[in-house]
Amino acid sequence: MRRALPFLLRRLVLLVPLLFVVALGTFVLLRLGGQDPSAMLAGPTATADEIARLRAQYGLDRPLPVQFLIWLGRVLNGDLGHSWISNRPVLAELVDRAPASLELLVLGVLIGALVGVPVGLISALRRGRGFDHAARLISLLGFSVPTYFLGLALLLIFFYVLEWAPPGMGRLSLMLDPPPRVTGSFLLDALFAGRWETAQSAAAQLVLPVASIAILCAAPIIAQTRAIALSVLSSPPIAYAEAQGLPPRTIARIALRNAATPVVTFIGAELVGLVGSGSLIEYVFAWGGTGQFGLDAIVKGDFAVVQGYVLLLAVFSVVVFLAVDLLVLVLEPRAGRA
Amino acid sequence: MSLLEVSDLHTHFVTRDRDDRIRTARALNGVGFTLQKGRILGLVGESGAGKSLTVTSILGLLHPPARVVAGRALFQGRDLLAMSASERSALRGNRIGFVVQSAKASLDPLARVGEQLVRVQRAHARRSRREAMERAEAILAAVSIPDPKRRLAAWPHEFSGGMAQRVVIALALVNEPDLLIADEPTTALDVTVQAQILDLLSAAVRGRGIGAIIVTHDLGVVAQYCDDVAVMFAGSVVEQGPVAEVFPRPMHPYTQALLAATPERLRLGAGLRLGGPPPNLYALPEGCCYRLRCDRSRDVCRSAPPLAQVGDQRAACHFAREPAEAEA
Ligand SMILES: Nc1ncnc2c1ncn2[C@@H]1O[C@H](COP(=O)(O)OP(=O)(O)OP(=O)(O)O)[C@@H](O)[C@H]1O
Ligand SMILES: [Mg+2]
Repeated sequence: MRRALPFLLRRLVLLVPLLFVVALGTFVLLRLGGQDPSAMLAGPTATADEIARLRAQYGLDRPLPVQFLIWLGRVLNGDLGHSWISNRPVLAELVDRAPASLELLVLGVLIGALVGVPVGLISALRRGRGFDHAARLISLLGFSVPTYFLGLALLLIFFYVLEWAPPGMGRLSLMLDPPPRVTGSFLLDALFAGRWETAQSAAAQLVLPVASIAILCAAPIIAQTRAIALSVLSSPPIAYAEAQGLPPRTIARIALRNAATPVVTFIGAELVGLVGSGSLIEYVFAWGGTGQFGLDAIVKGDFAVVQGYVLLLAVFSVVVFLAVDLLVLVLEPRAGRA
Repeated sequence: MSLLEVSDLHTHFVTRDRDDRIRTARALNGVGFTLQKGRILGLVGESGAGKSLTVTSILGLLHPPARVVAGRALFQGRDLLAMSASERSALRGNRIGFVVQSAKASLDPLARVGEQLVRVQRAHARRSRREAMERAEAILAAVSIPDPKRRLAAWPHEFSGGMAQRVVIALALVNEPDLLIADEPTTALDVTVQAQILDLLSAAVRGRGIGAIIVTHDLGVVAQYCDDVAVMFAGSVVEQGPVAEVFPRPMHPYTQALLAATPERLRLGAGLRLGGPPPNLYALPEGCCYRLRCDRSRDVCRSAPPLAQVGDQRAACHFAREPAEAEA
């Protein structure tokens, strides 16, 4: 792990210009979009005077570069501005909601990977046989189902028809109070506090949205793992291992190790790529995480929130890719790699 | 008993085309040759002649759609083609060492060289890691890799092409095999390194008194390093025998063309396509496969050519005993 630290530092330094560009990009895009939030804030009966006063209050009458610099200076002090809608600090809103989205995404992708990777591997080993055909068909279905529809269909079947799952109305039964906040995940916090009923309800609420995410990401993970495994199995090192008469178990281990890095990298990319679908799933299940919040802000033109949200996404993707790189460093202990 | 005796080896690729009709590519059509202990056989022929396929067929390394449909390959009297996959796998890397063409691409990129040398030993013999590591060091020294103790801990990507090729030779030799098979062991290397590797390879074979097959494009390599030669064309051995007999007096028109085309360097390459493209494996001509490219072809060539033998030299041609007209 001696190599991990300089590696981490190098990545963190790279983070600064990346975040700057992301921030600038969002800012410019939003302001070019031409939506005027002051008119919306002021309401339909507002006079031109009232609107002008609001614009001045939020600094919307200043030149764009100045607006950006003011905003950036605040961001560096941890002030992401206020939501125009809820009137609360953006940072507080995001910090409150992020754990909910995170637990959904991470659990969903984890389960999707735990199912998808073995299925993809077996599929590759049984190429062209029954299991392979079935897995490819299922994976194709997973690819083609629209996110929104998937969430609604699961609700319809498991809540409405079968009555196995609770209604998709948030993260906890309405009859229960949230546990004291430690991690922000209701399930974990309830467990910490020893409140079993609450934990049970939180877990039950998690099932359908997590299943949606798991299904959404299992499909590409199956397809990609299968493709990676097939290319490794037909690669020269495996042919050479056979020519050396190595036992099948050793050959399988060599193949697995050589497939691990690309598979892990792909799963990391899935985790980041699923943020968008995650927001839709949050909508369907009234989850109230950052995904739903950010999407709302985009629709309503809540500039400060959108900027903060996009910044958060950038940080999230950087953190995920950093974690993937560290994992690869462990998986591939070859010296001299950059 | 010969070390290796291959006879009547047929390997086909059976596939289905778009109309679901079965198509058969007859890639090997009765390959046969013999190798005695202590000798080196050069297997030559143009690209696509079936040299690699012969080797992989014998070693049981084929994958669908390729399949051996007939033939025998007696290794020390036991038929490699009749034994079970696990019996064959117990011989590979153990009694039969294999040297790949592209060492750098074929070594496991995620295992240190020492680990790979230990792995192949412990796959075939009860041996402690310690003892295996000691042998690994000794064999690296034997293939002239400098500082072998330190190199045991190196990763494959840290080796140059020539050094990686030495590692692959070490891997082939570490279990003291009786037969060494090298498929174009030097095509991926610089010319200067090529000679070093071939010197090393032949010295290792001579020093151990074992047998070897070297697959090559280069007739110069055969002349310099091999005792025997087998010339392949379109999935058959058209001529074989001791180099000392075949090279001065080639009996088959294809061998004659090979030797005549590049008299100075005896190099075999694209130039040897002089006579035209290789025959279509899906629809081989009846009789002699070479007849479409042969300037001595007659009506009689539509029937299968007999095997003519002079001394230890054998050729499959109707006119094998007649002196070549083109010889000059
Ligand atoms: N999947 C396949 N279907 C049909 N024919 C195939 C298939 N794979 C290989 N072949 C044929 O098998 C023949 C034998 O190939 P092989 O690799 O043994 O040639 P080679 O003599 O080793 O050539 P090179 O010098 O290029 O290595 C070739 O003519 C090739 O076209
Ligand atoms: Mg070849």
